[in-house]
Amino acid sequence: MLRFITRRVLTAVPTLFGLSVLLFFWVRLLPGGPEYALLPEDASAEQRAALRRTMGLDDPILEQYGRFVLQLLQGDMGTSLQTGRPVLTEFLIKFPATAELAAMAMLFAVAIGIPLGYLAARRRGGPLDALAVGGSLLGICTPVFFLAFVLKLVFAEQLGLFPSAFRQSPGLDATRITGFFVVDGIATREWDAAADALMHLVLPGLALSSIPLAVIVRMTRASVIEVLGEDYVRTAEAKGLHRGTIRTRHVLRNAMLPVVTAIGLLSGSLLAGAVLTESVFAFGGIGEFIYAATQTRDYPVLLGFILIIATVYVLINLLVDISYSLLDPRVRVS
Amino acid sequence: MFTRTSKRFLAPLAAAAATAVAAAGCAQSERDAGGDPNESRPLVFAGAGDPRSLDPVLVNDGESFRVTRQVMETLLEHEPGGTEIIGGLAESWESNEEGTEWTFRLREGVTFHDGEVFDAEAVCANFDRWNEFTGGYQSSNQTYYWQAVFGGFAENEDEDLPESLYESCTAEDDTTVTIAVTEPSAAFPGAFSLSSFAIMSPASIEAAAGQEVGGDEGSPVLPDYSQEAGVIAGTGPYTYESWDHDAREVTLTRYEDYWGEPAGVKTLIIKTISEETARRQALEAGDVHGYDLAAPADVEPLKEAGFQVPVRDVFNVLYLAYNPEANEALDEPDVRRAIAHAVDRQRIVDTILPEGGEVATQFVPETVQGWSPDVTAYEYDPDKATGLLEDAGESDLTLNACYPTDVSRPYMPAPKDIFDIVQADLEAAGIAVEPESKPWDEYIPYTDAGECSLYLLGWTGDYNEAYNFLGTWFDGYKTAWGFRDDGVFEAMEAAASEPDPEARTGLYQDANEVIMDYLPGLPISHSAPSIVFSPDVEPPAVSPLTQESFAEASFR
Repeated sequence: MLRFITRRVLTAVPTLFGLSVLLFFWVRLLPGGPEYALLPEDASAEQRAALRRTMGLDDPILEQYGRFVLQLLQGDMGTSLQTGRPVLTEFLIKFPATAELAAMAMLFAVAIGIPLGYLAARRRGGPLDALAVGGSLLGICTPVFFLAFVLKLVFAEQLGLFPSAFRQSPGLDATRITGFFVVDGIATREWDAAADALMHLVLPGLALSSIPLAVIVRMTRASVIEVLGEDYVRTAEAKGLHRGTIRTRHVLRNAMLPVVTAIGLLSGSLLAGAVLTESVFAFGGIGEFIYAATQTRDYPVLLGFILIIATVYVLINLLVDISYSLLDPRVRVS
Repeated sequence: MFTRTSKRFLAPLAAAAATAVAAAGCAQSERDAGGDPNESRPLVFAGAGDPRSLDPVLVNDGESFRVTRQVMETLLEHEPGGTEIIGGLAESWESNEEGTEWTFRLREGVTFHDGEVFDAEAVCANFDRWNEFTGGYQSSNQTYYWQAVFGGFAENEDEDLPESLYESCTAEDDTTVTIAVTEPSAAFPGAFSLSSFAIMSPASIEAAAGQEVGGDEGSPVLPDYSQEAGVIAGTGPYTYESWDHDAREVTLTRYEDYWGEPAGVKTLIIKTISEETARRQALEAGDVHGYDLAAPADVEPLKEAGFQVPVRDVFNVLYLAYNPEANEALDEPDVRRAIAHAVDRQRIVDTILPEGGEVATQFVPETVQGWSPDVTAYEYDPDKATGLLEDAGESDLTLNACYPTDVSRPYMPAPKDIFDIVQADLEAAGIAVEPESKPWDEYIPYTDAGECSLYLLGWTGDYNEAYNFLGTWFDGYKTAWGFRDDGVFEAMEAAASEPDPEARTGLYQDANEVIMDYLPGLPISHSAPSIVFSPDVEPPAVSPLTQESFAEASFR
């Protein structure tokens, strides 16, 4: 297992290095520059030129790349040009928001998607199956931002059941430890703060869960149908095994293999893809910040954030492979 | 079996959700506890972006100033709801004849939030500090407004920085201070009202003294004192209580010993909501009590729903710039005039701008000193435009014209809609238009480089001096404008070098007349950006400069 993990980590190094090269040159190829975004419209040409110079943007591009790599190896990802704070600090501030949101969305997707997909497969051709298949198609087709607006309109504005924006109610006196508001609330026993943060996660979590939920329902359904037709299930039934044992040990466990892979991949994409949901709910996560960084040509943030996300993505995939090998011992050999 | 499994999963989930709903309900009811709402409820205002720093000398954007202005005060300020410059921390002011010494009589009985007394020494400590900035502080990204007004520093570390205009600050006595500059500037006295030049307590300056702009050359890190509440003490009606970067909110608390009228609401929270529609929805859902720069299309529905949208006076200009270096036909005065007659500016004001907008007759709004009632007018007359083009021999003229996308500015709320009218009008007059659009972040460099024959752009004033509008456009040759006209440049120079503010007003009136005779571009409109408040709030006087003092607001 250790060798397997080591090999996977080592293969990630050239991937991330290649990505850093591509990213570095890509962001520099974007037209415009931070000197236009950071200074007011009427700033003089001299002021803009001076800013470029002090940022080292007039140096040869290879020299800039060398500087970037050298800093990166020392654990320094530079500073956000927008906020004047280190990129890593900014990431640590923004990441919990996105991670909490993605976790909530995945919780909804898994908690609803797997049972629904399983039931749809068991009652194949019935009304529940039709509902699950049709509903999942709708979930995949509906743009997340549209769903987010509808959820806000109905549940926040009309019914007033949930807050319409933010991670926590403004002015709530909450202690911050990790930046994960729900976790902080529980750790400090500030139950109202934890509950408040949880309430703020419901609508954005639901909106963001639509696509993974749909994918999980469809994959679970297809996978369960496939496994139900396998010989070993028939054999298990023939030798008189208890029905519950067949379902959990033989059907669900084997059917979950592709679903777990999908959950891993979807989790990664949720981290990167929460930008619209974050904007609609003013959630203040990494997606919203990266979007702002592209607007202001905040090169260090673009580079740093995307590299960190890529690393997280690689790690999630590694975890998926490990969990895969736990579910299916044959994977360990390869 | 499955049913049992699902129950095992779902039961705790349902219990957690129910607890969450109940606890959140309790939290809500605690927040809505009775009593005077001004004492028990925070007033929450939504901004579009996070502030950059709590020290105003280090910022140049409206989102940061909205926060710092509630806490830090300047020697001069603009009257509430207006543009006239009045005393702030200074009760009166005067300059010597040469315009090189500005003497301020300071308000008495003012204290900083840390208990220190506000006096002439405190003023000098601030101005001296700014002039003596070194290292990373000398970047134009950190001290933009200091450099825009005073040029450089006591010891410039970049040889391209101009010499500092600032000479000295002298505390004549406790309440009299004189600021000397090396030469007169058309920026004064208006520039003393710039939010960047707000006065911090000497103890705060001392605490911040050891903190430099960190990081390396390419990635400066702002000093800690500017990133958290607790160090900076001003004299304003609010104090910095906290800055929660995670929750993207700055909390301000009423300063009970404020020298003026105390703040109406005890706690003011400025929250960031980047997305425009999300700001509106947060207001409609009751999560915030107001927000700025409402989309023009949202104004009427919001009013109908009972929200308040007080109208600001205008203090900006939208123009259509001509660039003769991009198309030499624009060197011809008749072509420039033809374009001016071709565009139906009243239609833009009536159909696109929010209530309170006006057609511009010149490059400054009427509220700015130096506005002239006698400039050449270019009324909408497409036939005249066509005739002028024929006279100039440019009946088959084709011009490329640019507009920005993905942006809404206070002076230009819907660039594409405005551009569509301009394009249709020009084509009706016989000018073929090749439209070019660029995202905002590419737009300024593109137009600055002289790539567009015509382009839409504008400016919102920082302070009430014509120089603040005209100075950066017309005081000499600029690639963005691409024209060289001694008449315009000399008129601007004459106004800028006049030390007496009253005489300068007359000279700027002359300059505006010369500019509108030459017509380097077409001033289109002055717009009143919309600010919205919920029905339960008594809003502050709305400011043409978007400099609202939230201390004037209260719950009804």
